[in-house]
Amino acid sequence: MDLTAEVLRHALVVAAEEASIVVVRSAYSTFIVEGSDASAAILDADGALIAHSMATTLMNSMALKVALPEVRKDHPAMRDGDVYVTNDAYRGGVHTNDLLVFRPVFVGGVPRYFTATMIHVSDLGGLSAGGMAPLATDIFLEGLQLPPILLATDAGVVPSVEAVLRANSRTPDKVMGDVRALVSGTAVAATRLRALIQEYGEAGLARGIAGYLDYTEERTRAALAELPRGRFTAAYPIDDDGLDPDAPHHVQVAVTLTGRGAVLDFAGTGPQVPAAINASASQSLAAAVFALRCFLDPSIPMNEGCLRALDIRLPEGSLLNARSPYPCGGRFVPIYAAMEAVIQALSEAVPERAIAASGILQPFSIAAMGAPYWIHLSYDFGGVGARRGLDGPDATGVHFGIGRNSVPQAEPVESRCPLVVESVETIPDSGGPGRWRGGLGTRTVYRFLTPCHVTTRGDRLRIPPPGREGGKPGRLGGFFKRSADGTVERLASKVNNVLFTEGEAFIVETTGGGGLGPPSDRPREEIEADLRSGHITEPGAHRDYAPRGLTRSPGSNATS
Amino acid sequence: MSYVIAVDVGGTFTDVVRRGSDGRTVVAKVLSTHDDPVSGVTTGIRRVLTDPSEVTRVVHATTLATNAVLERKGARVAFVTTRGFRSVIPLGRYARVEEDRYDLRFTPPPPPVAAEDCFEVAERVSSRGAVLTPLDLDSVRRAAADIVARGITSAAVCLLHSYANPVHERQVAAILRESVPNVAVSSEVWPEIREYERATTTIMSAYIGPLMSDYLSRLRGSLRELGIDAPVHVMDSAGGVISAELAARRAVATIESGPAAGVLAAAATGLPAVVSFDMGGTTAKACLVRDGVPELTREFHVGGKGSFGGRRAGTGVPIKTPAIDLAEVGAGGGSIAWVDEAGALRVGPRSAGSSPGPACYGLGGSDPTVTDANLVLGLLSSASIPLSRALAVKAMERLAVPLGVSAEEAAEAVHEIVCASMASAVHVVTVQRGIDPRGFTLVAFGGAGPMHACRVAERFGITEVLVPAHCGVASAAGLLTAVPATERVRSALSAPDPARIFAELAGEAAHDLGLPLSELRVTRLADVRFAGQAHDLTVEWSDDPGTLSARFFAKYTQVYGIAQQGATEQVSYRVRVTHEAETPEPGGIPAESVAAAPTSRTVYLGGPVEVPVHTRATFTTLDGPAVIEDPEATIVVPPGWRARLGGAGAVHLEHASDLTAWT
Repeated sequence: MDLTAEVLRHALVVAAEEASIVVVRSAYSTFIVEGSDASAAILDADGALIAHSMATTLMNSMALKVALPEVRKDHPAMRDGDVYVTNDAYRGGVHTNDLLVFRPVFVGGVPRYFTATMIHVSDLGGLSAGGMAPLATDIFLEGLQLPPILLATDAGVVPSVEAVLRANSRTPDKVMGDVRALVSGTAVAATRLRALIQEYGEAGLARGIAGYLDYTEERTRAALAELPRGRFTAAYPIDDDGLDPDAPHHVQVAVTLTGRGAVLDFAGTGPQVPAAINASASQSLAAAVFALRCFLDPSIPMNEGCLRALDIRLPEGSLLNARSPYPCGGRFVPIYAAMEAVIQALSEAVPERAIAASGILQPFSIAAMGAPYWIHLSYDFGGVGARRGLDGPDATGVHFGIGRNSVPQAEPVESRCPLVVESVETIPDSGGPGRWRGGLGTRTVYRFLTPCHVTTRGDRLRIPPPGREGGKPGRLGGFFKRSADGTVERLASKVNNVLFTEGEAFIVETTGGGGLGPPSDRPREEIEADLRSGHITEPGAHRDYAPRGLTRSPGSNATS
Repeated sequence: MSYVIAVDVGGTFTDVVRRGSDGRTVVAKVLSTHDDPVSGVTTGIRRVLTDPSEVTRVVHATTLATNAVLERKGARVAFVTTRGFRSVIPLGRYARVEEDRYDLRFTPPPPPVAAEDCFEVAERVSSRGAVLTPLDLDSVRRAAADIVARGITSAAVCLLHSYANPVHERQVAAILRESVPNVAVSSEVWPEIREYERATTTIMSAYIGPLMSDYLSRLRGSLRELGIDAPVHVMDSAGGVISAELAARRAVATIESGPAAGVLAAAATGLPAVVSFDMGGTTAKACLVRDGVPELTREFHVGGKGSFGGRRAGTGVPIKTPAIDLAEVGAGGGSIAWVDEAGALRVGPRSAGSSPGPACYGLGGSDPTVTDANLVLGLLSSASIPLSRALAVKAMERLAVPLGVSAEEAAEAVHEIVCASMASAVHVVTVQRGIDPRGFTLVAFGGAGPMHACRVAERFGITEVLVPAHCGVASAAGLLTAVPATERVRSALSAPDPARIFAELAGEAAHDLGLPLSELRVTRLADVRFAGQAHDLTVEWSDDPGTLSARFFAKYTQVYGIAQQGATEQVSYRVRVTHEAETPEPGGIPAESVAAAPTSRTVYLGGPVEVPVHTRATFTTLDGPAVIEDPEATIVVPPGWRARLGGAGAVHLEHASDLTAWT
């Protein structure tokens, strides 16, 4: 047995981590400013995931894993130094703005490993600047499509490819900055990987990696074996597709726990639609794996070994596995539904780890109406559902979208864009009441100093995330327009390039998480603590919890 | 003769070094007194004190601020901000890293200020400093009354865009100070753009300030009782010393005081290219020192999670004051080794600390630690306390039995894993920053550093290791070389008049140090970025825009490995002032080893080998395998390395290519 296997495992993750640092820090795209949407991975020649960087979301590493065999299919003969790119949503990619970049690492004359990086680049065309096209009816409206092509060689980025990318971007310099960052990231990870090949030898490294994946598989299977066996089903609705407000859509899952394995079958999920609420298969795979992993030991590494224990079935032509030309840019809407469905099914299976449904992230963009372009592309987070024994965290990137909470900073945004951020606040009483309370949503208000376009991509803004076991749903958020005279009008959850004039304000309210257990069971001390901290108001306390003899604590400034 | 006394208060020991004007030094090591560090300090000083009237200066490094943050023992703070933004601190910013990412039961770390202690005042200033909404004085008075009613005595004020125009912050502070004893104001503490980081930096100053102020005044009281009336200087996080008064006022600047002092000891070797390597009981730290100057960072996170040698942004509280740029891993002598449920051997991050300590201390610990492994391997024989090999072997068997190997094999694997883990700290400050560590000298210190240093060096092709004299009290020794220095910043997007800003900042910095500007060396710096990019880099200022851009491009290439050019803009301006007049001579502490005859003992290097055991007094050159023992530390000379006694009692270790490598 190899007593020091941990040393190699660590080195593999560090190699990916270094690549992602290079990408995050040198890229231009505002979407990845906080490192949240930049990813780097090390894969074997068949696309098996060996390691990914710490900030990598599963959405991204699953995309890289699924796309690599497609790249190899189109390019059977690769040379050392070649770098490939794709964004093909039907062959592993995500949507047109997410570029997947791959570099082969040769052993004995053949590509044996690949280093890969990925970010949401600043702009690659489509209906609105920055890559949001919430009302797209086919993928051609979402931006430039790139099948797997040669992006760069030892001599640098292929000039004809650069010309095409520049011609299709509103921000050509920034896009090329992003592309160079992606290419450099793969080079850094490849250098580290070559050093490991030298240190361990070709066979030694291969053996070490195989051991790592086997170890991960064993831990995953052991954790699965601790769950009760059985078949658990759940469905979760989507608000609407942005085009027809009355057409219902939903995602359905049957989770079968088989002991040392699990089958997640999404049969019964609604069909793909000509609207931006479909997902590519890699994204749905990521959602399913993430939701399941939330019920296993969180310290299990994430690599191919974990995937071997799982059988994920995504019906072709459904919302979760769209075919060309159905748009995939709004993929997080169906995959958040898929994730919630799996989480609710497993909450039935493992009630002591149950969690109520959550508010989700609400992306939006605010953009100049013409050149010179400025754009503020951001997202606010909804509240998390209550857990058994724990309240839900407020306005947090729970689940896997981002995996972090980042409050927008008013100062840098105001320095860059002609607007005033009036407030960033939690919304009292927005967490679903319950024995354990859902997390709060937030309200952010942007007042504009010049006319501009607002684009939104929201969900769970019409159908609130339900509570569990007697808990109440979270409060619905929404996108709103406040006129100069102060009147506030609700926008649809998915709007494209709505004109705002000078003095008008855009309000983003996120949805609160659902509660768990009857509100009447919540102890008075916890209700009083919520009053002090401003999580609830006095009228809210009486309405939602009806406590007897509740008095306001002296000096509370919670609701002032 | 006059004396300088340096005091470093660490987690386990308080180290005191006294140096006379003749260069002679005396060292004392006493146990730290955690509840009241002053008593440990005075005990230590008494041991070295001769004539108190001849003490001209006391230089102090303290972990008081860090401990207050880590143990959440600072003052309750009220946070005052612009209307509409009181939720920003409770909402916080944090990254879910590693295992937190799949943890459905993850609960965010509690904010530095509770939601109910956050207050708003009505006002607004624009990003260019224009007053959009005048300050409503009544809203300030209401907040002040509420703060007093809650019994809160420390407040932090951070209003939007106060770096551009501090007028409202000053008015708020003036009103609060009428009734709140301690008020920290962001435009005074650190006027840099990005309200969240500026707010947390200010809050931490308010959080630590009262403790620091109280501690330093009690310390000075105790020193006076000993007859010492000399000024007290405190090491700040960036390796400069500041007056006790400034340390109390800008307490947030002392958070990394202790680790910074150690790096200065490595800098004092005078070598041009140094990797400072400090390994203690719970962590190992690495830092790059070039031409005697440690690298600085302008943002670090306190109380966060470390991983792979980096401090994960977003897992702690961001602090914007400059600090020596350390990489840190949770691997030290006390780190506990364990076998996970799938049978893999792991080391750390849990540590046995000083209580109960490693099993071999015989203080009730039974978990196998790195120190136990080193004892089983024979690399270590004794420490400041007696060690039990039998207990160490028994602890190692808790790993060896489930793994099906001998205690020695398990110990060797633990040693190997912890070397790799520490190497990742070196990796972060070199390779990850595009710097080739070959050609650097690894300067090793701390209780456990010299035992692992050569193995860590080998991983990077570093062929020179230096272990200074008194490597066990290196941080206190480093304090003797520190000079007064401090930094000031102001954010302004590509200001039309940088010369005026620099002049003002230099004046403020000189005032901070209480020294005339004419005695200070002034370094002007600017934070530069590509127009439209979010991340900036700090480079030395030039009045010539072409030169400034060229410096930025060069730094960009060095940091990211990408040669890129384009339009640039400036985000912030900085001035660093250093007092040059009293630059002390570097290093120079003679060793005090006892000249006894060398002995020998068995160490385990893939099998038992008999090796010679020396002290610094019993050899001039020595080929590995061998062991050199100091009173406070053990130097391991692996096969393939040659030890040579150098000037000032330092041990130089060279990887000799004609000797067989230890593989």
